[in-house]
This record gives sequence, C-alpha cells and structure tokens, in this order.
Amino acid sequence: MAVSVAEPDRDDTLVDIADLEKQFSGTKALGGVSIKFRRGEVHGLLGENGAGKSTLIKILTGVYSPSAGSIALDGEQVRIDSPLEAHKLGFGAVYQDAEVISSFTVGQNVLLGNEPGGALVDQRRIHAEAQNILDRMGIDLDVRSPASDLSAAEMQLVTLATLFQRKYKLIVLDEPTARLSASEVEILFGLIERFRDQGITIIYISHRLGEIRRICDRVTILRGGLVSATLDRDEITEERVTELMVAKSRADLRIENTGMAADRVLLEVEDLRTDHLEPLSFSVRAGEILGITGPVGGGMEQIGRALGGVVHHDGTFRIDGKAVSTRSPRASRAAGIAVVPEDRRRQALFPELSLADNVSLPVLGQLSRFGLIRGQLKLRYAREIADRLSVSPPVPARSVKFFSGGNQQKAVIGKWMSAHARLFIFVEPTAGVDVGAIKEIYDIILSLAREEAAVILITSAAEEVMALAETVMVVHDGHLVHRAPKADCTHDQLLTLSMGGRSHVKA
Amino acid sequence: MAGPVDELSAAPEEASAPASGSGEPFWLRLLRRWGTIAVIVLTGVGFSFATPYFLTFSNFNNILFSMIVPCLVSIGLTYVVIAGSFDLSVGLCVTTTSIVCAFLIPLVGPWPAIVLSLLAATLIGSINGFLVTYGRLSGIVVTLGMMFVLGGINIYLTGGYQVAVDYTEKAFRYIGQGRLQLTDDRSTAIGVPVVILAVIFVLHLVLSNKTKTGYYIRAVGDNAMAAFYSGIPVYRWVIVAFVLSSLTAGIGGVLLTSISSSAQPVGGEGYLLGAFAAVFLGATVLGKGKPHVLGTLLGVFFIYMVNSGMNMVGFPYAARQLFAGAILILAVGANALLNREEIHLKFI
Repeated sequence: MAVSVAEPDRDDTLVDIADLEKQFSGTKALGGVSIKFRRGEVHGLLGENGAGKSTLIKILTGVYSPSAGSIALDGEQVRIDSPLEAHKLGFGAVYQDAEVISSFTVGQNVLLGNEPGGALVDQRRIHAEAQNILDRMGIDLDVRSPASDLSAAEMQLVTLATLFQRKYKLIVLDEPTARLSASEVEILFGLIERFRDQGITIIYISHRLGEIRRICDRVTILRGGLVSATLDRDEITEERVTELMVAKSRADLRIENTGMAADRVLLEVEDLRTDHLEPLSFSVRAGEILGITGPVGGGMEQIGRALGGVVHHDGTFRIDGKAVSTRSPRASRAAGIAVVPEDRRRQALFPELSLADNVSLPVLGQLSRFGLIRGQLKLRYAREIADRLSVSPPVPARSVKFFSGGNQQKAVIGKWMSAHARLFIFVEPTAGVDVGAIKEIYDIILSLAREEAAVILITSAAEEVMALAETVMVVHDGHLVHRAPKADCTHDQLLTLSMGGRSHVKA
Repeated sequence: MAGPVDELSAAPEEASAPASGSGEPFWLRLLRRWGTIAVIVLTGVGFSFATPYFLTFSNFNNILFSMIVPCLVSIGLTYVVIAGSFDLSVGLCVTTTSIVCAFLIPLVGPWPAIVLSLLAATLIGSINGFLVTYGRLSGIVVTLGMMFVLGGINIYLTGGYQVAVDYTEKAFRYIGQGRLQLTDDRSTAIGVPVVILAVIFVLHLVLSNKTKTGYYIRAVGDNAMAAFYSGIPVYRWVIVAFVLSSLTAGIGGVLLTSISSSAQPVGGEGYLLGAFAAVFLGATVLGKGKPHVLGTLLGVFFIYMVNSGMNMVGFPYAARQLFAGAILILAVGANALLNREEIHLKFI
C-alpha cells in the first residue's frame, strides 16, 4: 500500500507553469497549459497519445522551448534553454527510452556527470559509490559489468539510479515502468517515496492507472494540448479519468468499421516470438483490420517490427497460404508487407526529398525508361497519389519536410499505394497528426481494407482501435491478454486492460 | 457481416524467455583481446628470422626515431576520433607549427618561439572545435577546409622555400638532435626526441585514462545524447579534443623543426593517412573497439616496424604500401567481424 504522507501545504508551489503554448509548424501541441507542481508531491500526468504530455516535459527539461507562456521556480521566472540549464535549475528527467553510455560500466553510468573528485577519475571511488547507491535502492547489479550487456529493464534501473546522485528539485519520470517487472516496479516506488520524503517533486507519467492511483498525490489529465482537470488522490477513479482523458473529438471521429473481412485468410502467423514477446499466433483475413493495443513498450510494437523484418524473431508466416520470410525489411517487402512505422521522420521519410520522390520510390522501375527516370511521369504519378489521398497542398515537387504531420503520414502511405502490398501494418498512425487530418487517415486505412488488403493497426490509443478494427487484441508485458471481436469490446474495457493488464481472456 | 473471430491457437505461454548471456567461446574473446598484439609480435618474429639486422638495438632505435612525428600526430588525432569526429588538418598543422617556430626563433629566441608556435597550434584546434560545435559544421568539412587554409598560409609564410634554423641555436637543436648516452657504447644512445615522445605518450596515457578530460571525451563520443542529458558540457569536450589534436601535432611540428634544423613549406599531408591508419589499427588493440592512446602507439609502431622490416628484406616501395593498406583493412575488418551489430547502417 501507499505510505501516508502529510498533505503538502496548499501554497507550497515549487514550479508554476502558466499558459504554456507550443506550436510545431502551425500545429498546436500545447494550447495554453497551466499547472502548479507542489514541493514534495508525486504529480501524475495522464493523457492519450498526442495530448501534449511529452511536449510539456520536454519544455520543462529544456529540450524544446515554449512558443508562449512562462515557467516560475520558487516564484521566480526562469528560462530553460537547454538540458544543461534545466540541470542547473534542478530539473531532471528519465525518459522512456533512456540511454546509457554502452562502453562504460554500470557504475560509471550511475555517476555519469557527477563523478567524485577533482580532475582525476577515481575508478575505485566511482564504483564504490555506485555500489552504495545500487545497494540502497535494492538493485542487484554488478557495478563493474559493462553497460552494453544490460537488458532494457536493467538499463531503466541504471538511469533511475543516476537520479540519486544529482541534487534535483523536480524529477520527471516518463513511463518508468514500461520495461520493468513487478519486483522492479517495487524498487522504483521505494525510490519515489524516498525522493518525496526529501521534498523532491516527482512528475509521474504513465498509462497505467493502477500505478497512478497507488503512487500519486495528485494527477493532471491532459487532452488535446489542454488541461482537462487536476484531481486529488481520492478523486482518481477509472471512470472519472477515462472520461476526462478521452478526446472531445471522439464524436467527430465517429467512424465505424462494420466488418469488411472476407472469408479468405490472408496472413497466418504462428508462434511469433521476439526477446520482448511471448509466442503468439494469429491470423488476419483479407479486408480485415486487426487492432492491437496495449501500453507503450508492452510488446505490441514487436509484432509490427517482426513482420517488417527489422527485429530478430522466430515464427512462421504464411501469406495466402504460402510461407514467406520476414528476415529483413527487403524480404518483408517482397512478401507483400508494407509497414507505416511510428517514427516516420526517421524510419519512413526522406525529409529533404520532394513528395514525388518519396511516393515514387518503390515504383521507380515502372516510371523509368532505359534505366532513366522520366521526370514528367513521376510527377504525374505523384499527383495521382496526392489526389487520391487528398494531400494538401498537392504540390509533388515540394520537400516533404514542409508538409504537416498528417500530410507527411499520407506521403508514407502513398509510398505503398501501387507497390502491390497485400498486408499493411500501421503503427501509431495518428501520432503527431493534427486532429483535422486524423479522420482522413482513418478513411485511407478503411479504404485499404475495402480493397481487400489485410490491415494490422498497432496503436496505444484505444479509441483508434474501436473506430477502425474489426478484431481486437491487447498485448501487455509481452503477453496477449485479450482477443475478441470489436463488437464485444468497449472503449473503457480496452483502456482498463492496457492500463491494468490483468489477464482477462485467454483465447 | 460480423465475421467470426479467429481462434487460431495458443494462449500466451508462461515460459520465461532466457536472456541470452555472454556465452561466446573463450578463444573468440582471446582473439579479440590479443589478436592485434599477436599479429604485431608474430610479424616482428618473422622479420627477425628473415634478416639478422632486424632484431638489433640500433634498428629498434631507428624505428622509434622515424615514428616520432607521426606518432604525435596519431596520438592527438585519437582524441578527435574518440569524440566521434574527424580531424583532417593534423598533417598540415605539423607543417604550420614547424614553420611558425622556425620563423620566430631568430625574432624572439628559441623558448618563446616554441611557446608561441604551440599557441598557434592551439588556436588552429580551437577554431576547428568551435566550428564543429557552435558552428554546427561537419568535422570532415571544417578540417578539410582548415587543411587548405593552412596549406595556403604555409606557402605564404615561406614563399615556397625552406626556413633554416641557425647553426648557433645549439639548445634548440639539442631537442631534436641530441642523444642521451647511458653506457660507454655509443650505439645504445637514445635520441632526445624519443625520450620526449615517451614522456608525452605517458602524459597522454594518464590524461586519457585517468582524468575527467579523457573520460568525458569518451562518454561524448560513445553517446552524445546520453552525455547531453546527463548535464555534461558536450561542446566543451569536443573542442578540447580538437585542441589536443592540434596541440599534439604542433609538438610534432616543433620537434620536426629541431630534428631537421629547418622547416619545410610542404610535406605535412603525408602524416594524415598514416595517422588514421594507426588510430583505427590501434582501436583493435586489446579488443576495445574504440581508439585509445596505447593502441595508437602500437599502431604507429607496427606500421613503421613493417616498413623497416620489409625495407631490410628488400621489398620495393610499392609492395610496402600495398602491405600496409592490406594489414589495416584486415585488422579493422576482423575487429568489425568480432563486434557485429544487429543492424549496421553507418558508412564513415
């Protein structure tokens, strides 16, 4: 159970952010957020993908600078221009995909940037102090082992241990339990309680309501870049939070997939297994949209990465009854699998190249004669794709980096339009996509299914699954915890399942 | 039409996936750690059998003497490569410092001349460092540009002729030409610049392994983002790496002036490729996979040892070049094979 802590003084505000705004090339990620963080409280931050959580913490830690608004620390206005500045002010963070210096030892990583002593590095002292910290946290790791051998969970623990050494006033933890097992979560909670007792403020971001309820004193819910509400611990109930979290635009997104699946099974997956995913079997029929949801890092993204050929995996795959290889991205492509990955800037787009270059990449052969690309044909082809997906503005010669998030996503989809893909995998297809364009992306996904492609939709947004999927799977901690036709699921049930992860249905 | 749900099979199994540990065979670890050193020793043994003059004190002395300037250039370059960048201007930096030194000796005297020329080297490194960090330019481009700029300055300063150091500068010439005779046998005398090289090498060994300077440069080169988030002033350490590179090359330039009693207007370019070869060869020493000062020293030594050995055995120049290149690719290639990443998408 949570320890009882004296209710912090009402006016004991450590950090006061007021009317914080952030725009990314015209899209508002934060539209005027005001929150007061008190000294020595654990303050939960909840919200669906794109609600503005990560933008907010990146501003607090100096990664982004705000477009408008102010931040006050102990009543004084501060400017946080860089992580270094945030450090000096006493703001620290552990990010979801925390990184370590892999050629250093565990101990060296724990004390990174805070090594004891003067100009000389005293390895023995570093490792002794690091050992001391790990002992106090109850982490059983060899401080002298190389960091490159750490598992994802161990890496997370090491980055948490770094907080010990630094004199922070405010610590942001972004999905800190995403990669931890139950006993490791206990270590984390012990650490959080210790920090709170020292008067340190913790901002705790998580999708898991159970954790929020257990560890947080208050919780702020973000929705569409705005504060939806701030609740005290005893007001935190599942219904209340779900209601506050779900986008008001839910009504706008009234899209229903009433079922387009044919009887023909298109994709069969048998015993798919990766380092972070227990063996899993499923199939997708032609025209079917299979929605897979769960917490970020809970294993669902492994399915997309395995089918796309970018992660080591075991298992057998059949498309139209024929065994196919997904050993490499190239093999997956040849098998007719098209992936629209979550990080499109890094994994799917060539930002400097034009829209036309981007969409025509897989079909260049058809747009060439004697090995030379026919520029006019390429432009005409790109214009066709742009019309079909209503890319705006429909200017094929424009660099893709000048398009908005939604239109960039259309460019990624457009890349696979004529590439004879039979299975489309969408990973977080509307992350960073402005609200207006979300419905258009949904329409495109539905139209692909209508044309008898099989679609796998992997997303942490439950309402996305409810809008688009015909069959639903929930993956949590590398396990399949729920599988049912969409008609038998409710939005809130999916949200609860991905947050709580109780084994519900075993297919 | 609400389709029936697929009940294909398999509830998730409860079997815990065993994390694949470091179960690599012993011989592979041995090879990674000692492979390069074994090759160096075996090559030396081979030459000793091929020619009786190879394994002699005087030949060893000759090898050391020939590698003084290249070794300093390579050690300096090591810091920049550790930090994750490139310094193509190191070779020209030697020439520039050498010329500045030769020029200043008659004007301000030998000791101030040494200090001022090393300051010039520091300035070159600082400019490189600032442009790469605050200027946001690529290390390759900046130092390539610097290489041409220095080449121009060298010709401008010298007018294309060598700058001689006066015969009366005995103390200055002692730095490069003096010998320390420990026994009565003159053939066992050690050159003063070799001693200076040894001292500087030890200083760098300490700096890179025992001080925060070396420590943070390594952290930045391994994962600049993690270092940045940890509050380490990343830019500062990158600049320091460039300064160390130019400064150490500059020491080589001063020694070069003293050794030859003159400064040549051209010729520094020759150090560059050898230095990169030594640094990357050195990265494979002790299986570190990253450049380090001791490895660089051994890398330079190996290149000059092979050169000397093949020369004695009577190989032509062309064969020596070919062999040096092949050895470099083999050593670095073997190292890459031993340290495979899952996805490799870097091509510099």
